[in-house]
Amino acid sequence: MDDLATYAENTWCPGCGNFGILNAFKKAVRRLETEGVSRQDIVITAGIGCHAKIFDYLRLSGFYSLHGRALATAQGMKLANPRVKVVAFVGDGDAYGEGVAHLVFAAKRNADITVIVHNNGTYGLTTGQYTPTSVKGFRGPSTPGGSVEEPFNPLSLVLAAGATFVARGYPLKLDHLADLFARAIQHEGFSIVDVLQPCVSFNNTYELYNRLATEMDSVPASWEDSMAAARRTDRLLIGVFRDVAQKPFHEESLGSRVPAQTRAGYSQRMKAVRRSLV
Amino acid sequence: MKHYGRFTFLVGGEAGHGVRRAGIVTADYCGARGRHAFQLDDYQSLIRGGHNFSVVTSSPQPVCSQYERADLVVALDRRSYEAHRKHVSRSGLMVFNSDAVSEDGAVGIGLPLSELAKPYPHPALRLGVGAVVVFLVAVGVGRAATAEFVKRKYPRDAESNIAYALSVYDAAAPYLAARFRLEEGEAPATMLTGNEAIGLGMYAGGLDVYFAYPMTPSSSILHYLAGHARDFGIAVVHPESEIAVMNMAIGAASMGVRTAVGSSGGGLALMEEAMSLAGMSETPVLCVLSSRPGPSTGVPTYTAQGDLSFALNQGHGEFPRIVASPGTAEEAYALAAELMGLAWAFQTPAILLTEKHLSESRMTVRIPSELPEVPRVKQHRGKGEYRRYALTRDGVSPLHFAPSEQLVKWTSYEHDEKGISTEDAGMISCMQEKRQRKSEALIDALKRRQTVRRHGDRGPLILTYGSTTMSVREALAYGGIEAEVVQPVYLMPFPVWELADVAKRPIVVVEQSAAAQLAGLLRREVGANVAACVTRYDGRPFDPAELARRLKGVLRHG
Repeated sequence: MDDLATYAENTWCPGCGNFGILNAFKKAVRRLETEGVSRQDIVITAGIGCHAKIFDYLRLSGFYSLHGRALATAQGMKLANPRVKVVAFVGDGDAYGEGVAHLVFAAKRNADITVIVHNNGTYGLTTGQYTPTSVKGFRGPSTPGGSVEEPFNPLSLVLAAGATFVARGYPLKLDHLADLFARAIQHEGFSIVDVLQPCVSFNNTYELYNRLATEMDSVPASWEDSMAAARRTDRLLIGVFRDVAQKPFHEESLGSRVPAQTRAGYSQRMKAVRRSLV
Repeated sequence: MKHYGRFTFLVGGEAGHGVRRAGIVTADYCGARGRHAFQLDDYQSLIRGGHNFSVVTSSPQPVCSQYERADLVVALDRRSYEAHRKHVSRSGLMVFNSDAVSEDGAVGIGLPLSELAKPYPHPALRLGVGAVVVFLVAVGVGRAATAEFVKRKYPRDAESNIAYALSVYDAAAPYLAARFRLEEGEAPATMLTGNEAIGLGMYAGGLDVYFAYPMTPSSSILHYLAGHARDFGIAVVHPESEIAVMNMAIGAASMGVRTAVGSSGGGLALMEEAMSLAGMSETPVLCVLSSRPGPSTGVPTYTAQGDLSFALNQGHGEFPRIVASPGTAEEAYALAAELMGLAWAFQTPAILLTEKHLSESRMTVRIPSELPEVPRVKQHRGKGEYRRYALTRDGVSPLHFAPSEQLVKWTSYEHDEKGISTEDAGMISCMQEKRQRKSEALIDALKRRQTVRRHGDRGPLILTYGSTTMSVREALAYGGIEAEVVQPVYLMPFPVWELADVAKRPIVVVEQSAAAQLAGLLRREVGANVAACVTRYDGRPFDPAELARRLKGVLRHG
């Protein structure tokens, strides 16, 4: 019996890359439990799209958010209770398109959340339109003649924005991906794992990724090296591109306070009101 | 010698002259004399130059509006002199900066306010001090007391300020000393702007984290709470956009902290998708909407009530909405706290609708030491498996927060009781009906609270709301007009149960809307017979004298 599963019926297509992400994530949670992290203290959120169904499939508390807004939701959750670890599952159309501002700013302010991007290069749930990471020429129902835009490189984007933990993984390297998830969740500060996710229905990239995905031996030594590694096209490097320590946003702004646990009572508030009026 | 009951002081100048501060300081002086005061700041959307003015009307009796006709005008620049010449009352006085206005043919008393400021650093920034001193001389404050007052109110580089103040004092005294005697009031009172009162009320009502992106005229809530964050033990967050603001506030609320957001129309429009999310996920969140003239960017620093329909219709789909609008800063304090309580009791978004005229005007307040009780928040008692969206009789499910052994799932999708997405026809109906039951329970709760305020109990019926209530009440007092003013505080759910008489008698509606939206709402909700609408929509609040004249006109014919 899988105690991380719910009764929700799984409706992903057979062979979908999301299964690998779900399994790797469960594996990461179980590993974290051996490292002393309680699963109760892992709360999740998700955008809207095929990726987001993972919210219903995981027996973990959290908030099923809006398309593009999961990172804002996640940051609100973390601020309210910095003791929990917040994981946001997002899609590429979702976090690299609709909600890209939240991604850039979460990285900039080093918000202590973990972002897992189910990057399949297409809007699966709306039947296969091109996304910010689709290759130029991608044919979908909104671009029948092929998309005319170059994709952007999400890793260089978040590196430029100041992300303190950046990784890329591949669901067919399940143990490697699970390790990336666990490390990202343990990282204090903003962490992102961009997952090369094949979409069997609209963008089947298994063959391509099997050929190109290559594990890195170590974390690049400098930001410039991370950038160069992220931009390689001859190989799709997987692993950790950057992992640096920096005080996270909630500590900068709240210190050690936990708003959800230190709520002022009525009489305390009335006293402060009177004080402010003098 | 005449002693002034109501007294209006106007100071005008460029942005950067310290005009607003001069208004605040003179209003504080009146407050310290036990007088009630109302301060309106009229400013433009710029940082330096332009034309700003601050009007302070004070009186031993309650006063709830500025008056256009001033007893004492201090014009720090030529534009202010030209703009406000016509606003000097018959027995009033114009004092102008003779370094900016040529004394040839000028009416009033010229004082070299700029020249006197020259010996000190940043002379232009000090002109406001000069205006305050002119006021103090004119109302009979002594030289030493003036120096002491300026020291207290302008502590930055106090030495130069005092020296400048005394030079202005000596220049002004021969012409102005004790020209106006002010009647003493009863008890020294505190002054707050509407936005300060809203911030304070939200905090009193349990606010833990405030999220906002700057937008006039709501920004001063953000500034006020940020300035008090340490003392209050709250967090104040200014993220990348209003979209982030609202979604962060919802995320934080789902973890058990009380959150609020604030903006003007444009910002609220960006929040609207998440407003609907709050409705579906049943997340309590308090939103302040402070209006300015629209549509679109409109006129950022002026006032309007054009967002009533927008506020009432926030968010797609069907869910319980709460919208209420306070009439004064005192009401704003209590209402902000009450709306926070109701949002949590009914787990749905609440909107506090206000306007620039209340948000940014400063007025005498008496803040009560206790708040009225609000309906309690239903909490999960730890028996059995938790269901975030448990179907209950009143539609309100008990709250419980992660981290917990229990599964706590909030969601934007239609869902079953445990918060798992559903497309099941029966479950969809159940949840739609649950949200409708919450709307009914909310109405039941509001029936036990004050949702409509009435001022006066005889004469024709005048319907108004929000800050326009202050304008109407002051106009009636000024004009000696007898009328019954009915002010719906709650606008959604609309308190039809309190408005039976409104359906039966012809009414006059007063509002700051070109389309007369309140009149339309009253016709729709209670079938009101609107005999006349008195509207103003040029961004300026009503002047009591002007409004009294217009009301007399419509009441005579009505």
